[in-house]
Order: sequence, then structure tokens, then C-alpha cells
Amino acid sequence: MILDVKGVTKRYGGLVAVDDVSFTVDESEILGIIGPNGAGKSTTLNLISGFDTLTSGSVLFDGRNIAGMKAERISALGMGRNFQSSLLFMQLPVIENVFAAYHLQLKTPAWKRLLHLPAAKAEEAELRGKSGEILDKLGLGDLKYEITRNLAYGHQRILSVCIALATNPKLLLLDEPLTGMNQTEIQTMVELIKWIRSTGITVIIIEHNIQALMSLCDRLVVLDHGRKITEGLPKDVRTNPEVIEAYLGTEGD
Amino acid sequence: MQKIAKAPVSRAWFTWLVALVALVVAVVIPLFVKSDYYRDILITAIVFAVLSMTFVMQLKSGLISLGIAAFWGIGAYSAAIMTTKMGLSFWAALPLSALLTAVVAFLLGFIIIGRGGVFTFVILTAVVGMLFSVSVGASSYLGNYAGISNIPSPGTVKIPGLPAWDFLNKSAWYYLALILLVLVAVICFALYKSWIGRAWTSIGLNTRLASSIGVNVFRYRLLGFVIASGIAGLIGAFYASYVVNIDPSQFSTWSNIYLQLYAILGGIQYAIAGPILGSVIMRFLPTALSSIPGYADLVTGALLILFILFLPHGLLGLLSQGRAGLTGLRENLARVGRFFSQSSERADGPRVPDVADSGQREPQAAIEAPVTGEGSAPSSMNKADER
Repeated sequence: MILDVKGVTKRYGGLVAVDDVSFTVDESEILGIIGPNGAGKSTTLNLISGFDTLTSGSVLFDGRNIAGMKAERISALGMGRNFQSSLLFMQLPVIENVFAAYHLQLKTPAWKRLLHLPAAKAEEAELRGKSGEILDKLGLGDLKYEITRNLAYGHQRILSVCIALATNPKLLLLDEPLTGMNQTEIQTMVELIKWIRSTGITVIIIEHNIQALMSLCDRLVVLDHGRKITEGLPKDVRTNPEVIEAYLGTEGD
Repeated sequence: MQKIAKAPVSRAWFTWLVALVALVVAVVIPLFVKSDYYRDILITAIVFAVLSMTFVMQLKSGLISLGIAAFWGIGAYSAAIMTTKMGLSFWAALPLSALLTAVVAFLLGFIIIGRGGVFTFVILTAVVGMLFSVSVGASSYLGNYAGISNIPSPGTVKIPGLPAWDFLNKSAWYYLALILLVLVAVICFALYKSWIGRAWTSIGLNTRLASSIGVNVFRYRLLGFVIASGIAGLIGAFYASYVVNIDPSQFSTWSNIYLQLYAILGGIQYAIAGPILGSVIMRFLPTALSSIPGYADLVTGALLILFILFLPHGLLGLLSQGRAGLTGLRENLARVGRFFSQSSERADGPRVPDVADSGQREPQAAIEAPVTGEGSAPSSMNKADER
């Protein structure tokens, strides 16, 4: 068990955005969190990754309580994430986006890096090479030196996953990685996520597009109005009447 | 439609060449500029160039500081006190003042940067700027609003093989200022090229993404604030000794506004060359315009506004973009032309102005311009994808 979310609650004044949500994530699994708009999916993700402070509850990551920690601290512990609305360093070349994510992995002593000694330069060159490899692996190799703003939308989504991967995470949180993509792009992304899991990284996906998740996820957690209504295998969730009522039913008609 | 990724052609050698030529020119200038009046302008231009660089350093991590003049003043006052009241030599006071200013910035930084955002920072640094003037004015130890006078010059330096470096004429001061400028430029360059510079840039471009990749936003902003303030303190110590008499009005918010304008004029993306170019030009402009008696300030102000309106990327932005920059300039002019023609049309009948709309779109085109000028392969393919 890599992540244990217990009774997580977030209140904005009188509004309860996330209400007593608990679930666990096992190592090397792909967990999907689904639910209709406004179900509290993104808020849950922000609470786990430290971008929002929780009102009550606890989050155990690798056995350590990370509730209340700052986002950068949690990232350093090995939790990577991307953002829903393509949050990238738009003005920089693609490869610099990924290279920036190696921020915490520089091992040369700081004074050598400040004086730009050969050891530091060699390390940077190596990490830049690694950045290039990640981009090659995820199919952005041809666009390495392009300015990020000029990238197509689907490519930008993939780049946001590349950045999260470069932080060398044990657990990767993906916030709506498939939203707004066309069918080919969705297929590419699904393959990428499967490949990421095959390298031993645990993945949590928040998604609106439930169809793609059915084949991708090992388990699904369903949220509605900030509460967890059920969790289980995709095939069971699919036939759960509560889920159909909350989510699939409304979309079906 | 396969496109091969090619690393952009490095133009580092060109940058180095320009830097070298600029340095040589800076070193030989006193041989041609004999007038003390112009040498004085050169020296103050260097002081403001350094201050302007500290502004850009903080701007990298998204912070707009209105308190730079105050830290400049803290450096100047520390050096003044150390040399006039504590009997230290200038050469000891120079680094000590820089250090003291950095320590003050470190302590204040916890409050100023703290958990607040960018706007809190702007307001609080402005408060620091005001508090500086008021508290110095209220302190009789610091000479109230009359300030401190008779700040001693640096002691003579003897370097074997060279004439004695005494501070009796302006060229000696000029060379000291130049050494400090080069020192600061080298420090800035080393920082910007390192992980620290990358962390600052990432915070400035996208704070949330920066913390998601593990950049400690508070710590790096504090670091930038402390280093920038230390540099401002260093040049403040030099300035105090150079001008002999200091008072709080010299370190007012006005100075702060000027040094920001110099950076913008030179080109904000050019963190080292931009401030130097901007402050040299703007320090000489009023003199060059002094043949228009009484209106020099007015014309300078008007020119500044025009520069900022039409050259949002500064003079260096225009130079480095070449033809693309000229096109951008022409577009900007056309935009203003449209604005005026629209306002006259509006007088005739109801018409929805789309000025705000075009105003949002066009600067973006201007930002994109350097991309194609950078020597990388054209991005037409991806732009086609985007549509």
C-alpha cells in the first residue's frame, strides 16, 4: 500500500467540497477516480498533493503522514503530478520544461555548480540527455527544441506527463490527462500510462472520460457531490446502480 | 511530414564577443571622455545599471520590488556610519555594508515574502521604501533629513607596475564602479546559468508547476531577495563614498521607479545587458536634450512612454529580433493608428471598440517573434496542428 487516504474532508466555509473520502492505493496499480463535474475529484487530488490544505483527515504516503505538508516537500518525497489545464512553462523550449523537473536530482555540491566546474556541467549534460530520452520515449522527441507554446494541445498534455515523470516519482497523479483529446491522442496517452505503470510507478488518474478508464484502470473510485459512493473493479462499478444514477445515467440520455 | 529535431544554433560566441567589445570600450572610455561632468554621468549610470540588475533578478522569480532604493540606502548609510563614526576604511566598509544589507533583507524577507503572494510583496516592499526615508529622517544618529556629510574616499591602492590608484579624480572612481559592475554581472551570469536561475525562472513562469517539481518557492524567492539586496547594498556603499554627502531623498521611491524603467527600456529578458544599456541611455538623454531648455525632463518622459509602448521588449529585443522586431514595431504603430481612427469613428455613431481585444493578441505575436529569429526550425507544422 503506497497511499492511504483516510477521511479526507475539505470545507470552503459552509460548502463541503470533499466529504470524508477514504481509499487506498496499492503499489504498481492504476487507480481511477471518476465522477461527474463538481464531484470533488480535482480537489481530492490537490489535497493529496499539497496544493490545497485539508480541513480534516490524513494522507499516508509510503507510511508517512503528508497531510499539511507543502507541495514541494511532497514532490520531493516522490509524488509527481500534472495539472488539468496544461500548466507548462510555455515560454521555454520543450526540453527545458523537462530539464527543470530535475531540480532536486542534482548531486554535485552546490559550490561546484555555482562555479560551473566541469563536474557540474557534465551532470547537467547527463540530465539534459535524460530529459531528451523521456521526450523520445513519450513521442515528443521531434519537438525537443520547439517553444512549448507552439505545441499542439495533445502534445502539451503529454509534455505535462513528461515533466511529472522527470521528478522520478513513486506515485504519479494525473489530472484529466485525456480531456479534450481526440481518439488517436487518447489511444497514445492510454498506451503511455500503461508503459509508465510497467516501469513500476503507481498511477492515480482523475478522469471525466470514463470510457477510456474502463480498460486502463485496475480499480475505480467513484465520487459524487464530494462523497465516495463506491469503489471496485471497473466491471463492477459499471453495473453499480448508484453509479449509473449519479453519473452514467445522466450522460446516457 | 517527419521533422527532425535540431538543437538551435548556439549564438553564445556572439554574446561573448559583444560583451568583450563592450568591456574594452568601457575600459578605454575615460581616455576620450575627459570632462568630469560626463564622467559623473557614466559613474551614476553604472550605479543605476547595477540597481536595475537587482530589479530584474527579483523579477525573474515573479517579484516586483519597490524597495530596491531602500536597500541601496541601507548599504549607503551603513558604509557612511562605518567610515565616519566607526573609523573603518572604505575597503572594509564596502563588503561589510553589502553583508549587512543582505542580513537585513534576510530578516525582512521572512515577513515580506512569507506566505503572501506577489501583490503582498509589491505593497510591503513599497512600505519598506517609505519606512526607510521616514525612519532615517527621524534618527538624529543618521543625521535626520540633512543626512551624513563628508564620507571619506577610499584609501589609495598601490598595485605594482601601475600608477597609484588614488581617488582624486573621476577616472579612478569610474574604474572602481566598472570593476563592481563587472563583478555583479559575473555573479548574475553564474546564478542565471545555474539551477538557481532555472528555479527562479520556473517560479516566475508558473509558480504551481514549479512547486510540483519540487522547487521551494519561498526559499528561492528569499534567496533572490537577499542576493539582490546585498548587491544593492554593495553599490550603495560605493555610492555613499562617491557622492560624499548622502540624505534620505536620494533613496526615494523615485529612484526605484527610474531603475525599473531603465530595465524595461533595455529589455527585461536581457537580465544583464538590458539594465546597462537602459541606464546608460537614460542617464545621458536629459543631457543630450538639455539644448531644449526647460523641456528636457518633459521630452525624456514622453520618449520613455513611447519606448515602452512601442518596444515592449526593450531596445535589445528590437536589435536581436532584427526584421521580426521591426515588423512588430510597425504592427504596434498600426495598432495605435487604428485606435485613433476608431475613436474618431466612435464619435459618429455607436461602435463596439475592439481595442482591448487586439491589444491582447498583438503583444503575443511580438513575443513569438524571437522564436523564429532564434535559428531553430520553423514551427509551421505544429501551428497547423493547433488549429
